[in-house]
Amino acid sequence: MDLLSSKWLVNLLVCCLFVGELSSHGCRCPRSRVISGRVRARARGGSYWCTSLLLFVCVCVCVYFIFLAGVGCNSVEKKIYVNLNYTVPCVRLLNATHQIGCQSHLSGNVGVLHVLESEENLDWVLHSGLTPPYLVILESSLFTRSIMMKLKNGSSRVAGVAVVTPNANPSQGTSPHTSCPNENTGVYTENYDPTMARCNVTVWNPLGTGLSYEEFDFPIFAMKEDNDTQVIRQCYMDHNRAGNGSTPQYPLCAMQLYSHMSAVTDTATCMRRNNINFSLSPEMVCDPLSDFNVWASTRPLNNTAKGHKEGESVVLAAARLDSRSFFFDIAPGAESGVSGFVALLAAAHALRNATQEAPPPRNILYAFFHGETFDYIGSSRMVYDMEKNNFAVDLDNIHSVLEVGQVGLHAESRLWLHSDPVSRKNSSVNEELILRLQSAASGLNVSVEEPGFSQPLPPSSFQRFLRARPIPGVVIEDHRSAFTNSFYESMYDNAEYLNISYPPDLTPDEQLEYVTDTAKALTEVATVVARTLYIQAGGAESRLGSINADPQMVTRILYGFLVRSNNSWFQQLIPSDLVSHLTDRPTNFYVGVAQQPGKPTLLVQYLLANLTGSTVNVSQDDCWNQRMYSYLWVQGAAPPNSTERVGFCMRSAARLSKALSPAFDLHEYTSKDYSTWTESRWKTIKGRIFLVASHELEMLTLGVGVGVLLTSLMLTYIMSSKADILFSSGREPANATY
Amino acid sequence: MNLERVPNEEKLTLCRKYYLGGYAFLPFLWLVNVVWFFKEAFMKPVYTEQLQIKKYVKRSALGLLLWVTVLTTWITIFQRFRAEWGEVGDYLSFTIPLGIP
Repeated sequence: MDLLSSKWLVNLLVCCLFVGELSSHGCRCPRSRVISGRVRARARGGSYWCTSLLLFVCVCVCVYFIFLAGVGCNSVEKKIYVNLNYTVPCVRLLNATHQIGCQSHLSGNVGVLHVLESEENLDWVLHSGLTPPYLVILESSLFTRSIMMKLKNGSSRVAGVAVVTPNANPSQGTSPHTSCPNENTGVYTENYDPTMARCNVTVWNPLGTGLSYEEFDFPIFAMKEDNDTQVIRQCYMDHNRAGNGSTPQYPLCAMQLYSHMSAVTDTATCMRRNNINFSLSPEMVCDPLSDFNVWASTRPLNNTAKGHKEGESVVLAAARLDSRSFFFDIAPGAESGVSGFVALLAAAHALRNATQEAPPPRNILYAFFHGETFDYIGSSRMVYDMEKNNFAVDLDNIHSVLEVGQVGLHAESRLWLHSDPVSRKNSSVNEELILRLQSAASGLNVSVEEPGFSQPLPPSSFQRFLRARPIPGVVIEDHRSAFTNSFYESMYDNAEYLNISYPPDLTPDEQLEYVTDTAKALTEVATVVARTLYIQAGGAESRLGSINADPQMVTRILYGFLVRSNNSWFQQLIPSDLVSHLTDRPTNFYVGVAQQPGKPTLLVQYLLANLTGSTVNVSQDDCWNQRMYSYLWVQGAAPPNSTERVGFCMRSAARLSKALSPAFDLHEYTSKDYSTWTESRWKTIKGRIFLVASHELEMLTLGVGVGVLLTSLMLTYIMSSKADILFSSGREPANATY
Repeated sequence: MNLERVPNEEKLTLCRKYYLGGYAFLPFLWLVNVVWFFKEAFMKPVYTEQLQIKKYVKRSALGLLLWVTVLTTWITIFQRFRAEWGEVGDYLSFTIPLGIP
């Protein structure tokens, strides 16, 4: 018997004694000394009242002792189930034609635990094991396409999969994304150029297994290598391990995973079910993936006058914000997304002074697109807005496009400039852009080259602009043909993969300021981008030498997004009501379904405002958006002597624009032109482990229970029908008057 | 209501009311009619109104059988094929199950 229950028992005994004492003594009220009958009755009544009050007080005290004095209830549920604390599921996503992801039963999937040792061990799970269904625990090295496909085919015996994610990246590259990302919504369709469609020329992501786009009908959860996982392994060793060739006996260790997804079939079905009016319980079952794009311009644009702007010629500098992985809400996206937009942010900062002192003739528009992983949500929305005159500029205003793709891994400091071979035949502006890039990179530590053969553009937001107009443009990447990123859109694409390492024993603030090698390399890229943008916008070549990106800035931004967002610099840049968004973990770049801008979007917006804007001396009440500029109030730093932060108003041209696929505005849920990705809703996501008994024992218990019920019913019936025989007493009952 | 104490004419009117009421798309009235008056119509010794009561009970039973067949067929078809009907199935349903087609 453990300490807790004996304490409870002792408390209960003390309480009972206390209550018994007091109620037996009654209450001594001094006024009841009068002898006359009426008053004695009153005294007795008074003493009853007094006693009941005292009894009530005692019961309250008892309750306090038993429940509130820290003893607690010893519930049976806690003795049976061990809940898992850190559970990351894979969720269901739907598009116009398919559903992908995982689904569990409404009441969770229960399976007997089995730790998979190798691919041959799968035979136990799929064929020879005696106690299906099994819940398979995989090490991350075994989380491969062949094993998952075998499990998927044998899914009547598989209740679920739990993947143990290691703390360090695996040595082998693996990507759960498809090998040809966004092949249906880019510019290379059969109409544009059939020889280049469907990655006929270059397979961009050769390590892609396509696991993220498969459909599983059992839940798949990710667990970290921590205490909970040790408990699970221990449970497996104690109960489920077949020792010396004998089969493991019941009770066995089992796990139950809940991740029931409400949406099914495809986007059209789930949007229709969202909107049904006359059903008894209208419920939303799915939401479209959406967030916000961040954009800014070096010369402010009138945001209320939408549509074509006369005389405005804009160089569009684009980058991608988002990423994804197989599991929900884990998307570090270091090389896939962060490297690109950090380089562009640093370039924007480097251009601030030059564009203000000697403004070039053309405007430069920085655009950070969200949702690009899922069929170019952000860029297709911006192109759609431009076509429908719903954006500050028009497609005719765009002079050229420079996109910064994956630039974090450039080995031998080489950058590759990709351009579209089909439109290159027709214009010479592309050639000028490439020459300018090469001249901008001269004198720096990085060399820029073209791939040297006719190759289509890699998956990039620029492709959506090309679908609308033949605009000249270049995409800067660090790979010549296939991606060098071996963890494209994977949960391992994190700071460790980019080799961002700090010397040991640094405090977080020191780490924030320490300039890593990756940051230095990225700074070079940012300088090239900034200089190119300046010349492309028509600026003077003589000023190029003064345009340099700041490595301190780059390393701080990288630290903030890839290591820890809750740092002192980010805290200065945002308003006080967003401070809760900062965490001690890397930022998650999954696009999500929120109606409000997500955390990374807001961080990039405030960063862009800080890096391209200026402080104005305006009070907080007057600090709100105008036609030409956006005004943002940020909380600033605390001066050395006090702890109160001194806020200030930041004036910039950084704004947000909605990144929701046009398919949802047009209600074309089976559209082939636009992204139709939606995410299902769910009720609970949790997991727990417990010991499970054999089926025979369960049936026996049920049978015994039913038998007892039937026996008691029969007995009652017999006794009631023979009642006069059984209960007749020899004599008549006494006349009782009531 | 205990039919033992009800006079025969009242039994006949009751039976007729339930029979006629069942035509208003209320097959349960026919079910009640059949169950309640079965003993009266077929197992009691003959009395004047029993012939008419028998007629009503028989017709109620026929109507009930028809309704049961129609409803069972429709329910089977709907449960089996609702998922494949797509949009039409959704618009015909009051409660659509979550997570399954």
